[in-house]
Order: sequence, then C-alpha cells, then structure tokens
Amino acid sequence: MSRCDRFETEGLLLVEQELPLGEHFSTCPDCLAARAAHERLRARIAALGEEDEPPVGWQARVWERIDQRRERRRRGWAWWLVPAAVGVAASLAALFLISPPGGLPPGLRVEIQTGTTIHRGGRVGEAQPGDLLLLAATTGGARHAELRVYRNDTELVLRCSTESPCLRRGEEMRATVLLDVVGRYQPLLILAKKPLPSPAPDLEKDTSAALAAGADVKLAREIVVR
Amino acid sequence: MQSLVQPPRAAPLAEPDPEHDALAALARGSRDEALAVLMREYGAAVYRYCRQMVADDDLAQEVHQMTFVQAYEGLARFGRRSSLRTWLFGIARHRCLDLLKMDRRRRRRFDPLEAAPDVPGPEQNVEDRLAERSRARVLADCLRSLAPRVRDAVLLRFQQGLSYPEIARLSEEKAPALQIRVSRALPLLRRCLEEKGVAP
Repeated sequence: MSRCDRFETEGLLLVEQELPLGEHFSTCPDCLAARAAHERLRARIAALGEEDEPPVGWQARVWERIDQRRERRRRGWAWWLVPAAVGVAASLAALFLISPPGGLPPGLRVEIQTGTTIHRGGRVGEAQPGDLLLLAATTGGARHAELRVYRNDTELVLRCSTESPCLRRGEEMRATVLLDVVGRYQPLLILAKKPLPSPAPDLEKDTSAALAAGADVKLAREIVVR
Repeated sequence: MQSLVQPPRAAPLAEPDPEHDALAALARGSRDEALAVLMREYGAAVYRYCRQMVADDDLAQEVHQMTFVQAYEGLARFGRRSSLRTWLFGIARHRCLDLLKMDRRRRRRFDPLEAAPDVPGPEQNVEDRLAERSRARVLADCLRSLAPRVRDAVLLRFQQGLSYPEIARLSEEKAPALQIRVSRALPLLRRCLEEKGVAP
C-alpha cells in the first residue's frame, strides 16, 4: 500500500498559512508521522547555530568602521580631486618603478584610493562615490590584453588595451576608474591571442564569449560603491 | 479582623524592551546609543543568520559587521514601517544575498573549487551532544543545497522566528508566495536529511 503524502502536498502549506488542518490529518497515521517529523525539523532549524557567536571584539570593529566612514565623509571628496590626480600619477609611477621586470604570471590587482590614501586588501571591496579604482595587471606575455570594468554586470565603464586610459608598459598595464556612481563594479583582465569582438555589454555573456574564444579571464574582487 | 483594603502591590519589573530602548535613543538623537542597543540585543541572532546564509566564518563576520555599519547609517532615516529587528534582518539579508551572488558567480566561472570532503572531526565519536552537532552540520549542508532565496526564507521563518508578513516586508515579496516557498522547501530538507542518514 502506498504511503499517504497529503501532509507534504497540502498539510504543510495549511500549517504555514496557520489554517486549520482537516480531519484527515488527525487520523491518517502517515500524515501524523509526517507532521511530527515536520515539527522536529522546525525545532532543529530553530536551534541551528545556537552555539555560533560573533567573534570577540566585533562591536569594537563595527565602531572602528563607522569612525573610518565618518572621517572619510568629513573630509568630503570634492576638495581632493586635484591632489588626488597628483596622487594617482605618483602611485602609478611608483608602481611602475617598484615592479620587478618581466616574467610575472598574469594577474589583476585592484586598490581603492580615497583622497590620497590607498586602501588595500579586504575580502569584500567597498568604496564610496568619488573614490578611485586603481587597476594593475600583468599580462604574462599574452599578445592581446584588455582591462574591463563592468558596473552592475551590464554597463561597461572601462575597456582598454594599449590605448588611453590604459597605460601599458611591457607586460604591465595600469588604469584608473572614477567610481562616480553607486553600484557593483567588477574589474577583469582578458588575455587572448587576438582582439576580442565588441562586448554586449553584459558581464556573463561577454566573459562566456571570451572563454569560448580561448581567452583567459582574470576576475578581481568586486567593488561595491555605496 | 481582616482589612478589606488590599495592600498596594509592588509594580512588576518592566521587561527590557530593546525596540523601545533603541527608539528612545533615536528620539534623543543618539544614533550611537541606538546602535549599541541593537548590537547588544540582536548581534548574536544576526550573526547566526549570516553564518547559515553564507556558510563561511570569515564572510559571515564581514557581512555581520557591515550589517551594523549600514544600520548605523540608516538609523537616522528609520521610518518605523517595521520593527527595528525586522529592519535589521532586512539589511543583513541584502548583504548576504549580494555576497552569495558575487561568490557564486566567481566560483562558477573562474574558481571551481572541489567540495571539501566532510572529514569527521575527532570529537564525532563522543556521544550525544556531539552527535547532535553532527546532525546540525548535516542540516546546515542540506540548507546550503537550497537556493539562497529559499534558504533565506526558511531561516528567517524558523531560525529567527519572523512572521511571514515581516519577512514579506523586509524582502519586498508577498507573504503567500513565501509560505508556498517554505512549505515546498521543508520536504526537500527532510528528504536531504534522510538521504544523509539523519532522521528528521
């Protein structure tokens, strides 16, 4: 005899809607068992992670981040556009000067510049409108290399290879993007044997097309501007 | 002779009400104090939710902290359309889903990581409590197999005990759709547990 599954197909929704269950559900043994299992599962989910505690000192870290943001906001961003340009030029020059010569594996590194301060690291990239996104790539000797930055997956805010705003010297490439609008910015480096077709622009489609054409795609961490 | 006049009863001690305390702090113009109340009262719950949503300690810590940083910034504009707790979980939910989307895209296309083998810890032979922990781990695995939005609804409903109207408000979805989503997810979870040898 087959098992009655009416509790799963009908009863569960009635429970979630807080509606009364019909008589069948109080007499059918399969449904009663299913209901009991459902209650146990609910209790298990409720108890899930009971032992998980946020790390010690997390509140202090939240305040620290709030203070940093306050400070950034207090400084504002308009006044430093001119010194920022000087800062960017200086940092790009410094990066060129301190980079070891050739032979580096291909890769893409991103940094955020606020005013004249460069922020490195962090697992989840965050920035504010007015910050600058600095891209530094090594091409690993690829014939064609392209830097791109997509905003919200569907807008291409940077695409360059050897032309401005990309600066290319040997196997190294640099570019800077002003993060002027809130959104998610995805920087990437495409390495290929020949130039790629015009982008859609659509991050998913474009990268799939590049991969299908045999290109190598290096994705940097996404930057969220808010 | 007994007096008919009842002696006055001691007023019952008021239950601490974090919502009230935080709103009162806001009314005084003290966002710092309001945030301190929210962190103290809801910090652990938000962390547990984030931990199950993103299934990674480092990411959970990051998204947990960002939730409160963002809450601080949003407190000045808090419109009281929901409780502060619901509002806070709304922020956490957005941050978790953003992070999962980002992570999923990256893993799918560029960084196909092999699933880490479920190595039994040395403590697994130590009975009851640890067996329960092991069952919880299996349940967490099964939850992870659900789509993020389904997992999110299940966690908010059962782990955090939010009502469907509350979840609907914070996720901008319809409560009946959420009820259907959750009621469809539960049998999947149950089957997943059974397949992994855990009775629900």
